[in-house]
Amino acid sequence: MRIVIVGAGQVGSTIVEALHAEHDLSVIDVARDRLEAIAYRYDVRTIEANGASRKALQDAGVDKADLFIACTSRDEVNLVACSFARIEAPKATTVIRTSNVEYIELWRAGRLDVDFAVSSELETAYAVSRSIGMPTARQTDVFARGQVQIVEFDVLDGADGTLVGPPLREARLPPDSRVLSIIREDSMTLPGGEDSIRVGDRIVVIGSPVAARAWAALLAPGERPVSDVVVYGGGQVGTAIARMLSQQDIGVRLIEPELARAREVAEQLPRCRVFNATGVDPDFLERERIGRAQAAVFAIKDDAKNHYAATLARVHGVRFTIAIVHDPVSTKVYEQSGVDVTINPRGVTAEEIVRFAHDPRTQQVAMLDGDRYEVLDITTQASSEYVGLRFGEMPIRGALIGAIVRDGKALFPRSDEILRAGDRVIVFTETARVADVERVL
Amino acid sequence: MRRDAAGRVAGRTWLAIDLPGALGLTGTLLAYLSLSSLVPAAVAVGYGEPVWPFLAAGGLAGAVGLGLHGLGRRSPGPIGFREGYFVVSLTWLLAAMYAALPYLFSDDPQLSRPVDAFFEGMSGFSTTGASVVLSPESMDRSLLLWRQLSQWLGGMGIIVLALAVLPRLRIGGRQMFESELPGPEVNQLAERIRDTARRLWLLYIGLTLVLIGLLLAIWLTGLDDAMSPFDAVSYALSTMPLGGFAPDARSLEGFAAISQWVIAAFMVLAGLNFALLYRAIVRRRLGVLRRDEEARLYIVLLGVGTLVVLAELLHADIASGEDAVRQAFFQTTSLMTGTGFAITNYVSWPTLSIMAMIGLMFVGASAGSPTGSVKIVRHLLVGRMLRRELRQTIHPELVMPIRLNGQVVDERTLRAVLAFVLLYVGTFIVGAAALAIDARFSNVNIGVTEAIAASAGTLGNVGPGLGFAGPMGSYAPFSDVSKLVMVGLMWIGRLEVLPVLVLLTRGYWRV
Repeated sequence: MRIVIVGAGQVGSTIVEALHAEHDLSVIDVARDRLEAIAYRYDVRTIEANGASRKALQDAGVDKADLFIACTSRDEVNLVACSFARIEAPKATTVIRTSNVEYIELWRAGRLDVDFAVSSELETAYAVSRSIGMPTARQTDVFARGQVQIVEFDVLDGADGTLVGPPLREARLPPDSRVLSIIREDSMTLPGGEDSIRVGDRIVVIGSPVAARAWAALLAPGERPVSDVVVYGGGQVGTAIARMLSQQDIGVRLIEPELARAREVAEQLPRCRVFNATGVDPDFLERERIGRAQAAVFAIKDDAKNHYAATLARVHGVRFTIAIVHDPVSTKVYEQSGVDVTINPRGVTAEEIVRFAHDPRTQQVAMLDGDRYEVLDITTQASSEYVGLRFGEMPIRGALIGAIVRDGKALFPRSDEILRAGDRVIVFTETARVADVERVL
Repeated sequence: MRRDAAGRVAGRTWLAIDLPGALGLTGTLLAYLSLSSLVPAAVAVGYGEPVWPFLAAGGLAGAVGLGLHGLGRRSPGPIGFREGYFVVSLTWLLAAMYAALPYLFSDDPQLSRPVDAFFEGMSGFSTTGASVVLSPESMDRSLLLWRQLSQWLGGMGIIVLALAVLPRLRIGGRQMFESELPGPEVNQLAERIRDTARRLWLLYIGLTLVLIGLLLAIWLTGLDDAMSPFDAVSYALSTMPLGGFAPDARSLEGFAAISQWVIAAFMVLAGLNFALLYRAIVRRRLGVLRRDEEARLYIVLLGVGTLVVLAELLHADIASGEDAVRQAFFQTTSLMTGTGFAITNYVSWPTLSIMAMIGLMFVGASAGSPTGSVKIVRHLLVGRMLRRELRQTIHPELVMPIRLNGQVVDERTLRAVLAFVLLYVGTFIVGAAALAIDARFSNVNIGVTEAIAASAGTLGNVGPGLGFAGPMGSYAPFSDVSKLVMVGLMWIGRLEVLPVLVLLTRGYWRV
């Protein structure tokens, strides 16, 4: 597949990283250094030009493209680039990145001539809200309109003994769920019946929403639903998070250091309490009892300030912290200092966009653990060698089927069930094997 | 290099106001307003009463208006934002004088003194309904109708009327419109202010006609022996602008319950925001009334006021059954909306009810209605500001925008609301003190309560006070100085304090 990508920033380079092996990529950007960084690492064509210029797009061969992705940080450039691409290559699928909720709503209403619009802010907010809905989960992804959830858990002390310790064959797993992977000290295994979960592991579980909550309850007994969250930073990301949480009837307090911006946020979010404070003033933290918040989300634009604020909040007693990272390097720093969950807005955006680059049968993709593993949602063809086989008898080649969607309903197959042609299967696999999986199914 | 002999620097400007332009516009407005005297003149012809007082008043006002209009030709260009305050204030003062002329020209002994006639004229145009007439029954029918008509014209506003019917005035903006139409904001009904004004007036006329029709129906069906066609028109002209003049010294006491209920219902209706009423009635979207926070608080306050008074009336055994409910509801509505009608002489009611009556004078009805006083929306906003202050005492960093119907109200508007309330209360106190002091010098027998009620009643454009100035009494015993003070209060109250007070600042007139 020929793909033209406008924008070689973090989102762009993450997309290139995920797609370069299987597709022919052309990357357009105005900054030479960003293009060079990509050109040295991957076998892709780079073009130094303005993506909003029609001539540049013609030079990049956009008329032969199957997929056109505009993912610069500027909405207007993305929109203009996409509308040119629409003229040059009417059949190409177009994807834009936007930070404007209005464009997303227009796209949903079918009034924006692009096939797919992704908002970093919205995707980040979804990720935060999923984490808050399940505090022990590191990452959650939903498939088949929410009928299937894939959740990455940390197994900590105090987890239920019927689950942790005995071999999986004997452990009492919540119904309608399956362990996809056990990650132990950087090595990942696709577990069989004799493997067992140990304290300190990180596990990936697939299941119905009910099962996912049961897993969360078993892994961290006594955990209560979060209803009081403090959000640091009232930028676009922080505002999107606060909006989404308060829509779920979670009480949100938002801290924004700049008065004019604080006022703007307060006007936009009537149900949020907005404070005009730095958030690192001990008097303020004490007076507002920030330490007693059930969770805190850090969405300050500057990673260093964000990190300091998160650490200070932990010092004051906040036990569940979620931080937004802007520089991928910061992820390790945050995790080192005890932040529970980190979310990279550009990462989640790239993940959302990459879903489109896969096989057209593929409906949705999630990336786990950076981008080493992927979850595919794919429809089986009649010619597939797996059709007609029992799940228990399928050869495992670095991929595991976690769930199937038959006639719009999600099923979590037992070993004696048979895969049929036309079933949508949700497959967990290494990124390197994605193409293989797509071929055999 | 050549220079003009006149030099570049002009002489210093001392007066920053385009006085000829402002006077010219005022003259235009007055000239058109003078045409209104033709209505009572026609009535006078019909009843066989003297016509000349109206024609003379109209002629005089017209001549003065045209004279001022002529001055305006010397104005350099269209008048601006700054002149607006002067035009509005002066127009209303001249309108009150114009209204006084027919009283003076007629030979009615009750209004033969210029101060009395001026008081009655201002009371009419400002929709106050405070009267120096003891027995309106003895006045000419045409003169009584003029009295009612002046209220009706003043209710929706002279300038709003001018904007609606006149060919293009030399006014661009909405500032004049807003300084006359009660309330801190006008919901726009149309793109052009002229169309908005026209719609408001059409609704006003329509509702007046409906009320006249209902009262005529009561007369025709014989449900109320006291009702007559003249009464139907008179009370409708006084109810819709929430005025309060009645062609009877006993106000509505003599009418049957059904007439009183109908009038009470229309007082409630006229106390709603007209822009909202327009949407609800003409565009058939009743939901707007139910969702509007001001309208909801208005109804709640009417209910609470009625219940308090009702409890007192029942407890003190003053009235019972339907009579008690009607008295409580009617008086609460009348005083809160600033109408000033009475179906009973509440001056003799027990203390709590009297206090409720005085308190209600400070409430007012909705903004955008012909009411006076502070108005519900300002109470609502001040309440929310106070709640915010309380919360910020504990949470100093909390940022809390104040909303009205879900829309954020900007801080400048809030400051204006606060300033209005403070200036209003300040003016009320000064007025009450002036009345009390003057009463001592002129040997008028009033106490603190009466001074307070008279000041609140005239400033709030309510009408009746307490004591001899109560609903069945008259303001005649007050001295001339007190009457002029109250004329000032009615004027200031009708124009919502700021446009008048701003004229008293040096910065208004100077560069």
